[in-house]
Amino acid sequence: MLKLLKKEFTLCMHPTGYIMLLGALLVLIPGYPYPVSCFYMGLAIYFICLTARENHDASYTLTLPVSREDAVRARIRMACCLEAALLVLIGLMILLKQAIGNTPNPAGLDAGVALIGDCCITFAIFNMIFFPGYYRDINKPGKAFFLASVAVFAWVALVVVATYVVPFFRDVLDQPDPAFMSDKLLFTLGGLVLFLAGTAWAENRSARKFAQVDLNL
Amino acid sequence: MANEMNSPLSVRGLCKNYPEFQLKDLSFTLEAGKITGFIGRNGAGKTTTINSVLSLIHPDAGEVRFGGLLQEEHTREIMEKIGFVSAGMTYYTRKTLKTITGITKTFFPGWDNTAYRKHMESFGLSEDKTPAELSNGMKIKYALTLALSHGADLFILDEPTSGLDPISREELVEVFLRLRDLGKTVFFSTHITSDLEKCADRILFLQKGELKADDSLSAFQAAYRILECSGSVPPEAEKAAKGICRIRNGYTVLLAKEDADTMEETREATLEEIMVHLEKEGETC
Repeated sequence: MLKLLKKEFTLCMHPTGYIMLLGALLVLIPGYPYPVSCFYMGLAIYFICLTARENHDASYTLTLPVSREDAVRARIRMACCLEAALLVLIGLMILLKQAIGNTPNPAGLDAGVALIGDCCITFAIFNMIFFPGYYRDINKPGKAFFLASVAVFAWVALVVVATYVVPFFRDVLDQPDPAFMSDKLLFTLGGLVLFLAGTAWAENRSARKFAQVDLNL
Repeated sequence: MANEMNSPLSVRGLCKNYPEFQLKDLSFTLEAGKITGFIGRNGAGKTTTINSVLSLIHPDAGEVRFGGLLQEEHTREIMEKIGFVSAGMTYYTRKTLKTITGITKTFFPGWDNTAYRKHMESFGLSEDKTPAELSNGMKIKYALTLALSHGADLFILDEPTSGLDPISREELVEVFLRLRDLGKTVFFSTHITSDLEKCADRILFLQKGELKADDSLSAFQAAYRILECSGSVPPEAEKAAKGICRIRNGYTVLLAKEDADTMEETREATLEEIMVHLEKEGETC
């Protein structure tokens, strides 16, 4: 798996994978739906899959002594590495923003602990929709990306609305840190669990689908 | 069966059904250390066969063994011993060969760096170049270099000479002969039959998804004769014809050797003539 991960980072990585890490800086904007930076990372993952197609990555990989399942897992784990890096950077930006003076965010959750959980859920949604769809036909990643994007933006919009109308979001999660810290930590932990479990589910489902498809390369 | 178990590649009863095309009960066994040509017109099923053999597509029926090992049960071991090269398939066009090689070699325990350097030099390849900077012939040579360096014994080549100029094709044919001299087995699909006449030991002829011939090149060619007719085709030739083609001044008729023996002035058939005429079998002139 480590060899395949190295292959993914060396041969398949698209520059936007690194550039979109700068999306963490969006947290410094006073009013912005911060999980949109997760969408930008999803866009980079889509570009990676597109580039892989143009570079005949599947035909190269499948002539190596590796299984199709491992090839799928390597790609998804590379994506997870990028997502995890973005989450860490968002965390750092939250700390920075709190140090220099946090202001309430009118477009979704404030820059606080709960935002990390929100971003984890956003990535879980993206991974669970994009990867199984993509591995149904690796030559047509556009449809899977469109569906994943719609779901991600629906979630982002839902959270923005929830910070105005759902008491738990409005009165607990969207309050400045350190208020309601235990509730926020629980929410974030739940988001992290959903991210890990959802991605593991996406990995298994994608591997199963990819094992069944005919590849006319 | 012993032969099948020892063969670098043995295929039994391979079937694949598409709405518009069927691969029908394909069976063949490759001989070790020989070049086997896999011929047929575009759409005959050559690439489908190769993709099935490599498990890139899932056959509806059949069994594929490499050195006696079942493909679906020993994928990793098998892929360590196979070199697959396909024309028009260019990996990572903007990465240097050095980068691609650096990644590729980590997957093969038997990677031989000395052999790699030797083949890169003999093919005139520079590690600092990218695939985008290589000609089609050089790309194929690079793919062959990778396969040779990881110790592949069986080379599966899908239309490797298509799109190449005659000189590049000639160079590749020489490479294939060198591979055979090294004791490697080459399975080489093409519709450019003149390349096979220069190097193949055996011929598999695929027509509309069915294997029509599996023979040595010499026996396959010796089984047919060509009758050239200026003007019309004699009735007895038309009756016995395996296929008739128009030429500038008349017709060429492909005849089975035994039918040709009763006629005068027939000549040897080239592989291309056999293939083209057999595709026209049943058509009248």
